Amino acid sequence: MNGSKIKKNRLIYISLLILPIFLLIISLYIGSYHISPGDLGKTLLSAVTPKSYPNLPQALKDIVFRIRLPRILLALAVGASLSVSGASLQALFKNPLVNEYILGISFGAAFGAALSLVFLGKNFPTQIVAFIFAIGAVAAVLFIAGSAESHIVSLLLTGVIISAFFSALLSLVEFFASPYSLQALFFWLMGNLSLAAWKDLALSVPLMAIGILVLILLRWRMNVLSLSDEEARALGVDIRREKMLVIVSSTLTTAAATSVAGIIGWVGLIVPHLVRMIIGVDNRKVIPLSAAFGASFLMLADDITRVVAPFEIPIGVFTSIIGIPLFIFLFKKSKEIWL
Amino acid sequence: MGKIFLNCFLFLDLLSILFSVDLSQNSDRLVITDSLNRKVTLPSRVERILSLQPEITRIIVALGGGEKLVGLDYFLHLYDPLFKIAFPKARTLPAVSARTAAVNIEMAMRLNPDVIFTHPEDFEIPDTLQSKMRKPVLALSSMGSFDKLIEEMSLVGEAIGRPERARELIRYFNEKGDRIRSAVAALSKENHPRVYLSFWGLLNKTPIFYEPVNTAGGMNLAEELLPSALGTIGTVVKLEQILRWNPDIILVHGNFPPKERVVSVEGILKDARLSSVKAVREKRVFYTFGFWNWWDPPQVLLETLYLARLFYPSKFQDLDIEKEGNEIFKKFYGIDNGFTELSKVLKCDEWLKN
Amino acid sequence: MNVRIKELEFGYPNFSLNVRDLSFEASKISSLVGPNGAGKTTLLKCIGGVLPVEEGELYLNGKDLSLMKGRERAQHIGYVPQEYGSTFNYHVRDFVLMGRAAYLSLFSTPSKEDVRIAEEALEYVGLINYSHRYYFELSSGERRLVLIARALAQKPDILLLDEPTSFLDPKHEVEIMDLTARLAKEMKKTILITLHNLDLAIQYSDSIFFMKKGTIFAFGKPAEILNESLLENVYEIKMKIVEYDGRKFIVK
Repeated sequence: MNGSKIKKNRLIYISLLILPIFLLIISLYIGSYHISPGDLGKTLLSAVTPKSYPNLPQALKDIVFRIRLPRILLALAVGASLSVSGASLQALFKNPLVNEYILGISFGAAFGAALSLVFLGKNFPTQIVAFIFAIGAVAAVLFIAGSAESHIVSLLLTGVIISAFFSALLSLVEFFASPYSLQALFFWLMGNLSLAAWKDLALSVPLMAIGILVLILLRWRMNVLSLSDEEARALGVDIRREKMLVIVSSTLTTAAATSVAGIIGWVGLIVPHLVRMIIGVDNRKVIPLSAAFGASFLMLADDITRVVAPFEIPIGVFTSIIGIPLFIFLFKKSKEIWL
Repeated sequence: MGKIFLNCFLFLDLLSILFSVDLSQNSDRLVITDSLNRKVTLPSRVERILSLQPEITRIIVALGGGEKLVGLDYFLHLYDPLFKIAFPKARTLPAVSARTAAVNIEMAMRLNPDVIFTHPEDFEIPDTLQSKMRKPVLALSSMGSFDKLIEEMSLVGEAIGRPERARELIRYFNEKGDRIRSAVAALSKENHPRVYLSFWGLLNKTPIFYEPVNTAGGMNLAEELLPSALGTIGTVVKLEQILRWNPDIILVHGNFPPKERVVSVEGILKDARLSSVKAVREKRVFYTFGFWNWWDPPQVLLETLYLARLFYPSKFQDLDIEKEGNEIFKKFYGIDNGFTELSKVLKCDEWLKN
Repeated sequence: MNVRIKELEFGYPNFSLNVRDLSFEASKISSLVGPNGAGKTTLLKCIGGVLPVEEGELYLNGKDLSLMKGRERAQHIGYVPQEYGSTFNYHVRDFVLMGRAAYLSLFSTPSKEDVRIAEEALEYVGLINYSHRYYFELSSGERRLVLIARALAQKPDILLLDEPTSFLDPKHEVEIMDLTARLAKEMKKTILITLHNLDLAIQYSDSIFFMKKGTIFAFGKPAEILNESLLENVYEIKMKIVEYDGRKFIVK
């Protein structure tokens, strides 16, 4: 590999890392309610110096600070969480088909949300119960499958079984629920960022941030963990402890993301692969880049959702519409075998 | 002799082109065209009715056919507040369909109905049911339109042998409605309040086409979203879109118990994201009846009056909603103080403090 | 650094390893030979910390191996498996860098010094020019060398090599065995190597350990211990020892 290629890779790496920041600012401009760049600038400045623009309409400020900003930040955080989590689990399980929901989080969260919406009603934030059951599902998987040292396949299989269990419970709740709460539930299940408010972010974003941070700190370690158990042990790694740490952090961040945004598919599966196709498999780069790229990816998908129609189309539609062609394009283009 | 018979037959055939009800050569059979354009043959005497379409069930009860019901859907069986008052027997009739499960065909067959009513959302179900049960299945719905509702009442009247009663109710319905229509027609379109409806337990879920609002002289902002011919009942809009519309009035779905309400008037008034909206600033956020599982004709009629009163308080200040409500429910369902009873469940007395 | 086995017992469902009172000489090459299923790989894995050992069974320079943390053990013992058991196609240098895991704390990433050590290891095995190539692009022989380099990056005193020459052509066989000899002589590493090829064992080992059915059947210097009845007992077929050019060869 010659010097110019190394330079080119570095450039790509750095640009992808800072892309989310640019996208965040551009995204603030996008939406049904038309705001000119000048007005947007004034609105943003008014947050810093409130007195400077007293005539700014309240609607403008509400749109930017109460509707768009929380939504975009949520897209950023959730995109980063799901991607970094998917990337980590793929390394851990040495399996490129693994995604962040493999240990039962999605159905655990869905069941929790259903319980909350149906039985606790509007007075209780859905997030909390969804989060508890998401974590509970993974705890059940780890408990049943035995120590994390046990065969990867048994962890995956247990994950599938627990998911099926919660899925069945979910159907049961739907069946017995009064029809009045079902609309809210179905809407939640589709996965969307549309009703994001600051109070929702206040609970979940710190948790997501902690999970993402830990996983990024563990990035080199994941290279070693991606070896066979035998090799990793021979290299002096306490497999059980380190794998658990990865699983716990990944679970924390995914559960926090899912409990507030619902189930958004494809992100944790596609983004890490896109990243590996661009930058190789070294997790020192893959993990942080997955977070950044995932954030950009979801922000972009949400921007498209907001531009395309006045209705709310589930964001999962766009993560696949963007993700899959991008995947095919990069796949065809990548000369080296990365897997 | 044959020629006369043939002429009569031709004449009747001609008639049949004009009316959906076809009294063809076999006079103990009716042919009705349903909402999916299926031509269904019914026996002329219908004694056992299975209705899986709540709107139709309500019409059947209003037409006096409640005694003939052998089964209904889960919603009217358990949940509908007004229907519980209007037709308490609903609790004892078997529920043959459920929210997330398909129709229980075996139970339906055991009930041995003469005719089955279902809704037209799933195209295949009426045909499947009809072929499996070898019984006539009619798929009917008003799809949110008064005209279709009236046509439907007439069809159902014919189907179950209560055409006179149907005509009576239709007359009453039109009279009440026309009273509002003529009063509203005099008002200029610019003064029509711009209304956003939050229905079905989600802040941003709204019915694209909801005629009571139009009849009462309001403008449903969601109408601009889709051509209503597409048949979509409701859609989920972006929060920003609501701010962009900046409605004069926000109406919240209210015909179900307050404790079940996820979206509430108080909630909207307190929502910081909506604080700049005109309706919120002027505190013109109200409950209205709305609908679950298709329309309830007397309720939707009452709602039109209620909305007229809400939109134009000075013009309709003589409208006593409670009195009207009781009268309408008595006319349709034969119950006394129906609205007063319903109001206790829905806490409507708070709505009318405007 | 010497390895002493006091009383090693390890059991699979149908097999048990039972080795007592054994020592391997420091800075020398000891080879483990024997028929399939004799327990050679199992023994190696127990010493290498890949399989669990219990207290009082294995000692490293007087220290009980089972009481050592994995990190510490990996700084002294490098275990080289036959192949890389995973799916990701790392760059050769990143691959070797993983050998530094025992020296890095949980949240740290390799420093320049770590990278230097990795490159040194690659240089020693002769693959420094392959630093930026992908692991799966390499031939089997080259891949083995990379695995050895990774173990070398651990800077161990003891190297355990599990069948490093299997499936390789003669040229690469010799290349690896020469490397092993250099590691013992130049770097003073204590080498324990399992071999199928008796000729190689005879040629390169300072001591040979014959294993059969989970125990050490016999051991000693090749010149002293080798005889035909021993071979027949261990391998259960008749073999002849032939001398040529001053060296001994086995003919089946």
